[in-house]
Amino acid sequence: MKNIKTIYIFGIFIALALVQLFVPAQMIWGREKVINEGVSYKFKARPVDPSDPFRGKYITLNYELNSAETEDTLWTRNEDVYVELNKDSLGFATVSKVSRSKFEVSDDFVKAKVRWYNSNEHKVNFNLEFDRYYMEESKAYDAELVYTESLRDSLPENDTYAIVFIKDGEAVLADVMINEMSIKDYVEKE
Amino acid sequence: MNSKLIKELPELVRNDIISDEVSKNIQKYYEGKAVASPNKLFIIFGVLGAALIGIGILLILAHNWDDFSRSIKTIIAFVPLVIGQLCVGYALLKKKGKAWKEASGTFLFFGIGISMALVSQIYNIPGDFGTYLLTWVVLSLPLIYVLKSNSLALLHVVFLTYYSCEYGYGLGSYNPSPWLYFPLLLAVLPFYFNLLKQDATKNMVAILHWILPLSSVIVMGAFIKTEWEFLPLIYIILFGLIYNIGCSAILKQERLRRNGYLVLGSLGTVILLLIMSFKDLWKELSFEFLMDTQEFYVVAALFVMAISVMLFSDNRSKEEQSNLFKYVFIAFSILYFVGITSPGVATIGVNILVFALGIIAIKKGTDNQHFGVLNYGLLIITTLIICRFFDTDLSFVIRGLLFVIIGVGFFLANYIMLKQKNRKEIMK
Repeated sequence: MKNIKTIYIFGIFIALALVQLFVPAQMIWGREKVINEGVSYKFKARPVDPSDPFRGKYITLNYELNSAETEDTLWTRNEDVYVELNKDSLGFATVSKVSRSKFEVSDDFVKAKVRWYNSNEHKVNFNLEFDRYYMEESKAYDAELVYTESLRDSLPENDTYAIVFIKDGEAVLADVMINEMSIKDYVEKE
Repeated sequence: MNSKLIKELPELVRNDIISDEVSKNIQKYYEGKAVASPNKLFIIFGVLGAALIGIGILLILAHNWDDFSRSIKTIIAFVPLVIGQLCVGYALLKKKGKAWKEASGTFLFFGIGISMALVSQIYNIPGDFGTYLLTWVVLSLPLIYVLKSNSLALLHVVFLTYYSCEYGYGLGSYNPSPWLYFPLLLAVLPFYFNLLKQDATKNMVAILHWILPLSSVIVMGAFIKTEWEFLPLIYIILFGLIYNIGCSAILKQERLRRNGYLVLGSLGTVILLLIMSFKDLWKELSFEFLMDTQEFYVVAALFVMAISVMLFSDNRSKEEQSNLFKYVFIAFSILYFVGITSPGVATIGVNILVFALGIIAIKKGTDNQHFGVLNYGLLIITTLIICRFFDTDLSFVIRGLLFVIIGVGFFLANYIMLKQKNRKEIMK
């Protein structure tokens, strides 16, 4: 009788363990799929450096692409907005259009959060959600410094951009580049 | 203490205080206990060790080592999780003791957090910290029941509170309320009740008696979003609820230091009432009483809960029936509505309430010969008087005299009670 109980509890535990393994595995699998099958876009960005108690230092990216013209006037703060993307000749992302629902035809769209609606310019301002780039502890702050320095050195402005893979509304931030070099290597070099 | 008792047993037998058999039984009882206690220490150190190692690994990995490739990082993400799972699996299959289960469970708890943290880093997953904590808490919740683990129950409540604060408290009024706090807290209650039923004397039970009410006090503010005028009302009812839980039949027998409900409920009520005893505060509360708000529903739900707990608490003795601490939340709720139209009346009412609570605590202290409660009552009245110095225009002479009187009062009350106690002991 006791053995049956042990087996029963052990069975529940195995199921639980599988769920515990499945959650991170599914996170990985979803992102790998986007990286392998998605389209890569460049987003012009500006890094700042905060940190998270358990996951370490990261830089938050403020994207230049943060608003779009729209006829819809009823946007409210923190609402989801879907942004369909186009690419310019250099591979940088531009907004094609925005919508409250997912785009059926196109795969290349991302979800963002509405910040405010500007009724004079008929523009909706939004935050792209992939704004967090984890870096080695010592490098996150340097990354911000390097960026401000690069501005001062009058390098062509906004040489900093993020490489983002996009598929079916899912986005994976793969790298941040300064002067065509990964920010990780750039910080080390500087 | 026990060894001292055992040493005195032969003398007690010699003087015919206890029989030989009773002496042997006492000896046997303490011997049995002695065998169990090293195990207890082992459990504590095991859990502490596992928790520290887990947090350590978590922090080391938070460095975000650039030198490892994505695939190596992915593998590392699963190592602590799998090790934890193997240990827990082994403990379950081999029916290992409590120490094994508690320690391996604690390590697995942190293993879950580590794996998700690392995956977030590798793929720059933007999800905020609150969502991360929530996933962590949910994934480890069933472990409490699978392992019957005390430490996991404690970790669950602590991390659930952490999550609710991350999620619910924030800048701006658009922060959502952490409603999931309630079902996730309820989920640990069957374990808590079971523990109470099995052995209410365990230290772990006392820790939970403190942690659970404390958690609710910390989180409750996250449900107030726009109607901040409701804050004092919500908290006074919450403290009333907590206090009444502390008065329930099971908890009433506990010693004061083990009954966190009673202590927190009483202290919270008194402190909040003292704050609300200032006239200016009532004047500045711009009352525009809105019924159809989230805050009003929270008030209503808490009130119903507090009243029901109060009715079911131990009301048999006369002392309990006249215990104002139990009803003070009702009185304050009425005053609160009175305050909408006449703040002056509400201020006076609150002052009378605090004064009455002080007197009742003093009386309770003297009746039960409890110095702690007696001085608590004196302290309440002293603080009330000090508070009144700020908003009334008394001359320095009167203020000085009042302090002297309070000082003498403190001294006399304690002295008289000490004398009484000594006399009673001599008479016995």
